Amino acid sequence: MKRIWNNILDEGLIHLQLENGINLYYYPKKGFTKKYAIFSTSFGSNHTSFTEKPNGKIIKLPNGTAHFLEHKLFEDPDRNIFERFAKYGANVNAYTNFDQTSYLFSTSDNFYDSLSLLVEFVQNPYLTDENIEKEKGIIGQEIQMYRDNPRWRVYFNCLSAMYHNHPVKDDIAGTIDSIREIYKEDLLLAYNRFYHPSNMVLFVVGDLELDRIAEAVNKASRRFPADAGTPVKYYPEEPAVVRQNFIEDYMSTSKPLFYIGFKDTDPGKTGKASVKKDIVTNMLLDILLSESSEFYQDIYSQGLIDSSFGAYYSGKSDYGQSMIVGQSDDPKRVYQLVVELMSNKTSPLNEDAFLRAKKKEMGRFLMGLNSVEFIANNLTDLYFQGFYLMDYLDLLSETTFEDLLERFERHFSSGESVLSVIWPEGMVK
Amino acid sequence: MELKSNRIALSNGIFLNIVETDKFKSNLLTVNLIRPLEKDEVTLNALLPMVLERGSRSFPTKLLLERKLEELYGASLDLGSSKRGERQIVKASIEWADPKFTGDKKSDKEAVNLLKGVLFDPVIVNGSFDDNYISQEKRILISRIRSRINDKRNYAISRCIEEMCKGEKFGIYSLGYEEDVEAIDGRKLYEHYRSILMTSPIEIFFVGNPDGLELEQLLPTELHNRREILFIPREIIPENYMSKRQVEEKLSVSQGKLVLGFRSSIPYEHELYNGLLVGNELLGGGPNSHMFKTVREEKSLAYYASSRLIKHKSIILADAGIQFSNYKQVLDLILDQVSRLKSGDFSDEDLQIAKKSLENSGRSIVDSNQMISEFFLGKVISKDERNLEDMLGDLEKTDRDKVISAMDTVTLDTIYFLNGKEGETDEENLEQYS
Repeated sequence: MKRIWNNILDEGLIHLQLENGINLYYYPKKGFTKKYAIFSTSFGSNHTSFTEKPNGKIIKLPNGTAHFLEHKLFEDPDRNIFERFAKYGANVNAYTNFDQTSYLFSTSDNFYDSLSLLVEFVQNPYLTDENIEKEKGIIGQEIQMYRDNPRWRVYFNCLSAMYHNHPVKDDIAGTIDSIREIYKEDLLLAYNRFYHPSNMVLFVVGDLELDRIAEAVNKASRRFPADAGTPVKYYPEEPAVVRQNFIEDYMSTSKPLFYIGFKDTDPGKTGKASVKKDIVTNMLLDILLSESSEFYQDIYSQGLIDSSFGAYYSGKSDYGQSMIVGQSDDPKRVYQLVVELMSNKTSPLNEDAFLRAKKKEMGRFLMGLNSVEFIANNLTDLYFQGFYLMDYLDLLSETTFEDLLERFERHFSSGESVLSVIWPEGMVK
Repeated sequence: MELKSNRIALSNGIFLNIVETDKFKSNLLTVNLIRPLEKDEVTLNALLPMVLERGSRSFPTKLLLERKLEELYGASLDLGSSKRGERQIVKASIEWADPKFTGDKKSDKEAVNLLKGVLFDPVIVNGSFDDNYISQEKRILISRIRSRINDKRNYAISRCIEEMCKGEKFGIYSLGYEEDVEAIDGRKLYEHYRSILMTSPIEIFFVGNPDGLELEQLLPTELHNRREILFIPREIIPENYMSKRQVEEKLSVSQGKLVLGFRSSIPYEHELYNGLLVGNELLGGGPNSHMFKTVREEKSLAYYASSRLIKHKSIILADAGIQFSNYKQVLDLILDQVSRLKSGDFSDEDLQIAKKSLENSGRSIVDSNQMISEFFLGKVISKDERNLEDMLGDLEKTDRDKVISAMDTVTLDTIYFLNGKEGETDEENLEQYS
């Protein structure tokens, strides 16, 4: 047992390595009614190619396999998993993103039984050819729903223009065609390689008892072969340059929507360095483009943008991009102005703005800790990057103005950027 | 945590509700101006918070205001309007990190003053708001009204309500109307602002640690001398409705959106209302509901299939995103699920599950400062004297007969279908899975 504590917050984590290999972390949240557990594997939509051992033969899964598997783990021989959770009064859900698949529930009652059920259903897949075919109708409608979402489309168009080969360019759920090619063998292969306890983590947040948590998990978990041979994720070679600078499409929408992307030409960081890069880049975007910047207020008054305008960085060890999003009647002009701002050597970066951005990030993090969902989801995301959430405030206070200047120079000077636009149908440009 | 608020009258029709707790790492202060939902003021009420958020006399530009918020550890200032039954709530709130963690004690007072300034002390020149701000925000409001179409599921829901409640106040669109935006100028909006400050019922909520905040001194002097306070009547639940509308709209989309609007004659004050609440939960409340189980899990016809109950109007809206050609099949399936509930064709276990799920969401209110504020506002609006435990107790007493009797009053009113334009759908791909 290990305690990872933050004394200022007087909150933290207790880590237990269970016999069957599960990494269990408990974050006590005294006085909260809601209890939350999230069980995750570091297998997401990006992991369509892998090898059994370093430099081994590349095994390729159809696009959308991780998400499909997420849907199918809810299947059970006698009754639906949803029903079994509902009986306990628990809300169960799951999500798949580029880098992970997570199964979670929240409840105010029957927590320990629900926790056992979570571990049990994730560790016991029940896949039949028939239930797999049936799911294709449901996932097909999910894909169509996203296809009709202009925000989603403008985002993925941007990624597809930015990346040549990296799978982050592909839609998380796959396509109607790619999911048609998903069969039991693919799902089992993915399951056996990526759902081994050594590839997973379980976070529990709430007002609970550690012994009972451990007992509930131990009771439900099954033994996996000790050495499953952790698969090696394979990413195709990705050039530093973007594939194309501009991409457009037409949809039923009221106003042109845009995504401006700056490709991170400096990926490859892990652990603390990766999280620090995340913090620094997001602070930069905040200083340059948020409502507290002159740039924002200028183009807002000119009528070029509205309050949907925003910017954020997201990235992991193998990819990363800054995204600037919004709607505008003249997205090309906004793009031009943003590029000018980012290539300006005498940028509006200054120490005052830096200190404000730092305070803001600190306060927002503290407010996030009001929510058990925020805690658990961020614990998971950061854990897979090799970082503990409790150390976030320390890392934030270590960040210096020089870090920002250096990152600004590195990230934005390359000029590797993309403009993606969705125009309203029938609009004459 | 026991949920209780200390309610203090600050002035005629203005109440401060303090929920004292050290559970959260932030403090939240919310001021709600309650208005009737009316065609001739809905647009003004939608525009007002957007203009107020541009600055106060102490922080006269948005830039200064935003920088101050950053100084206050990223305090979040939120102004907006929303529809609640046939009421429109104009809300201003601020949430800031507790100084206990930031070590900056003065941020408490400053955050309260900032909200006070924005709401009660805007920049006014010659009895008018700044014309530049007005014209910019008018443009933004028009664009927001138009952007309703971007989110197709919500668009379909909102269009169904509009068609179903034509001629009722509830049919009014919460962001107002484009043609009414045009007619607003700085003077007119300022007059409206003055009038709603002086006449609206105002409910103020604080959740957190109130020590040293002097919340009782929140109001400017003039608000201590308010005369007539507006009376806002309860929504009408029509007894006889024969509308039976069927509305189809075509857009170039890949997925059809089906929305069914039902009405019940049971108002929320009635003892059978819990039956309606549980009945709706059984119909489409979650993954254990009849709609989810049949439309999605059994027939693979949809990714989402659910229903919601609109409390103040006793309206149930059931919706699903489907392949165009499955319209009839899904429609029949949903109607069939409603009939099943009317005839009592549901298991005792499902009844228990539905109640448990509602109880669970009720209990989780205490874990969110926003939800705590909303909960108490809801109690005031619906004049509900019960505390959370009483409400959950009443819910628990809801038996099978109550659900059947309540669901028996549910009648179909409007069917709305968002269809694709001909020739633009990928029928070949879609048919594979039907």
